[in-house]
Amino acid sequence: MRSGLILIVIFAAVIAFPHLLPSPYLIHIGTLIFIWSFITTSWSYMGRFGLVSLGHGAFLGVGAYTSGLLFNAFGLSPWIGMLLGGLAAVILAIIIGYGCFRFGVIGDYFALLTLALGEVVALTIIAFRDITGGSLGFTLKSKGTSFWYFQSEEKIHFYYASLAFLILALLIWKWIDRSKMQKALRAIGEDEIAASTLGVPIIRYKMVITMISAFMTAVGAVLYAQYITYLNPHTLSGVAPSLEIAFKAILGGMFSLWGPTIGTALTVSLEEYFRVVYGGTFVGFSQIIYGLALVLLIIFLPKGIYGSLEAFFKRTKDH
Amino acid sequence: MFELYANALVNGILLGGVFALLAFGMNLIFGVVKIIHLAYGQCVMLGMYLVYTLVVQLKIPIILACLISLPVMGIVGVVLQWLVINPLLKAKANPLTQLLALAGLTIVVENLAQVTWGADLRGLNIQLPLISVGDIYLRTSNLIAFLGALITLGGLYLFLNRTYLGLAIRSIAQDVDSARLMGINPEKIYYITMAVGGLLTGLIAAFFSPIYAVHPHFGGSFTMMAFIIVVLGGIGNLLGGFIGAFVIGIVTSVSAVLTSTEIADIITLVIFIAVILVRPQGLLGIRISR
Amino acid sequence: MLEVKNIDVFYGEFQALFDVSLKISEGETVITVGPNGAGKSTLLKTISGLLRPRSGSITFFGQRIDGLPAHKIVELGIAHVPEGGRLFPQLTVWENLKVGSYLKKSRQDFPLAVKEIYQLFPVLDERKRQLADTLSGGERQMLAIARCLMSKPKLILLDEPSSGLAPRVVSRVFEFVHQIKSQGYAILMVEQNVRKALQLSDRAYLMESGRMVKEGPKQSFLEDPYIKKVYIGL
Repeated sequence: MRSGLILIVIFAAVIAFPHLLPSPYLIHIGTLIFIWSFITTSWSYMGRFGLVSLGHGAFLGVGAYTSGLLFNAFGLSPWIGMLLGGLAAVILAIIIGYGCFRFGVIGDYFALLTLALGEVVALTIIAFRDITGGSLGFTLKSKGTSFWYFQSEEKIHFYYASLAFLILALLIWKWIDRSKMQKALRAIGEDEIAASTLGVPIIRYKMVITMISAFMTAVGAVLYAQYITYLNPHTLSGVAPSLEIAFKAILGGMFSLWGPTIGTALTVSLEEYFRVVYGGTFVGFSQIIYGLALVLLIIFLPKGIYGSLEAFFKRTKDH
Repeated sequence: MFELYANALVNGILLGGVFALLAFGMNLIFGVVKIIHLAYGQCVMLGMYLVYTLVVQLKIPIILACLISLPVMGIVGVVLQWLVINPLLKAKANPLTQLLALAGLTIVVENLAQVTWGADLRGLNIQLPLISVGDIYLRTSNLIAFLGALITLGGLYLFLNRTYLGLAIRSIAQDVDSARLMGINPEKIYYITMAVGGLLTGLIAAFFSPIYAVHPHFGGSFTMMAFIIVVLGGIGNLLGGFIGAFVIGIVTSVSAVLTSTEIADIITLVIFIAVILVRPQGLLGIRISR
Repeated sequence: MLEVKNIDVFYGEFQALFDVSLKISEGETVITVGPNGAGKSTLLKTISGLLRPRSGSITFFGQRIDGLPAHKIVELGIAHVPEGGRLFPQLTVWENLKVGSYLKKSRQDFPLAVKEIYQLFPVLDERKRQLADTLSGGERQMLAIARCLMSKPKLILLDEPSSGLAPRVVSRVFEFVHQIKSQGYAILMVEQNVRKALQLSDRAYLMESGRMVKEGPKQSFLEDPYIKKVYIGL
């Protein structure tokens, strides 16, 4: 009951925040946190069950570019674009996922394969530079403030919109948690062979969770693209964003509901802090600290920050 | 037209020689320390930055700079073992965790490079002559790299097979406990392996410096390349890595001429994905249970 | 020369040895018998340094060796032949022998030592360039024991040298052990083939469920009715 109360308080604070402290910069940070938490949480749908993907950049790229290009070329509403982008990501997920699960590619080989996939998408986007603008990316055409075109000149709209998306992602997390799928995937995660002899349809469940994760990630990418109104293959595909997503989730603890969000909030804040304090002089300095912190964390706190805290409190409660 | 492909083929083979060194280093480290050194390409990159700094900023003659880079990178390897790999081994981290930790390391190294040397290309800007054999033009830099790589590989082969230390390294790779019972200290062997691996990155950096200009993301593409070669040949399989290096060297070179460098990269990545899916033990590898 | 005093050894939270004690003097051949899972291999591994006791002590020529890393214990003169030999599968016969002489003090004598082994076992000479995992079970055991001799040990730990081998081969292996014994090496052997092992031994211990249950000279074991019934099957 206590945790529910805390949640309501935090929620109220978050909603009221832009009105209490109308700083465009902080609202911007908040929005970024919500968007990336959405994406990171979607990643952890797979991650928590042992399907650690280091290539979600592939879904980001496919989603954002599908929607963005259709929007610029045909004025297609990003809401539809989101669905199409999500669909494209799902198709990619099906092809790769089926290949992997059918051939029993798991664990770190799976991670490596997805890593390569993220790069393939990035390189493909860059290669077709006539359409996509290549390494330089492209800007979305401006339509002013419009719900239908999912653009706004007021940051605060995106603040609430991405908050809503994040809540959706969290609800879906909870839904997965309660479903039959969760038990099956847990069993698969612990002992795949045993699970299959018990008749658990392994490939099917893995495919489902991968498809959900891919779809949501692509949607998140569209959300981000609409907010920034600029797409670039280095931020929306390839190795870098893929690793960042994985790291944020693991940092916060990919096995818990709030883990990815906390991990994202921490890293985004940290990055911003370093950029503000050291910004001009040390471009990339923040990343170094960030990378170092991650390496140390991975070695010493395999459950992530939130997960470890959760376990710690559980243990003290039991005593 | 034929000359174009022939040139690409030959230069691909030459490059394959250096890739073979890269693959050897990664395979050695994986075979002995049992860790996938995801940041290996980044180490080569560091070596290249080192050579660049020595030559361009400190005006040290190239050959001396290359010689200096060898022990320095060897020390880097030892430091890595001490600070990153030992803790990973002691924490008994699973392979995924190791991968992630090393991926984190790549981020650190790349950004360190960016902070220290900036994001633009840093090249040595030296022009070595072209040697022509018939209609084929060999770049001297590639030729030196190729010959140097072969000689080094020969030396490494002798080291591993004719010396007590080489024998110790091979024993640790096969059965650590048994090796202990022979009086071999595993930690010492890990350090030596990482030092050799580091030395190799220094050597590769020396060979690459006259050929490529370095930038902070240079390491990434080479790690990927080394990875693909190593998986193709079978992780831990030294001979496989050797052959795989030439295969990939030729494929990359020829595809770049056929299509474009980016498509060539895409092709190599697709090959990588295909190999993992269909034959993860590589074309020559032994099946390692994962 | 070797004194194991009251050691407790754990695998994680599972206790494998309870308050185990043992003694060997120079030149002695001591055997430890007992059923599967009694902890005999664990005992050898703890002496050779692959495992560490949680309490108790192990001294070798008066020096504490429990807690020392395995590679240092080898240097002090204890050689351990694990069960099955644990040869290096991808090394040749010759290379396996060579690794045995890794210790700096043994390297010089290697060429001579190898010749001696080849004279004793022409089979190994024939197969010297073959990979170790192409050898038969008996050949492997011979090679493993020969390999441990390369380090010029003072004490040899043998873990079930007869395991998995056909009876005729077992005889040959025990012949070899007998030869080693007559050269003056101290041997601590763990065995399930109690009868053959007892014949070689000077003294014996019986271990059951991680505890030392009985100790005595060879004769007392041979005459003990319990031992005879349960372990020798007479």
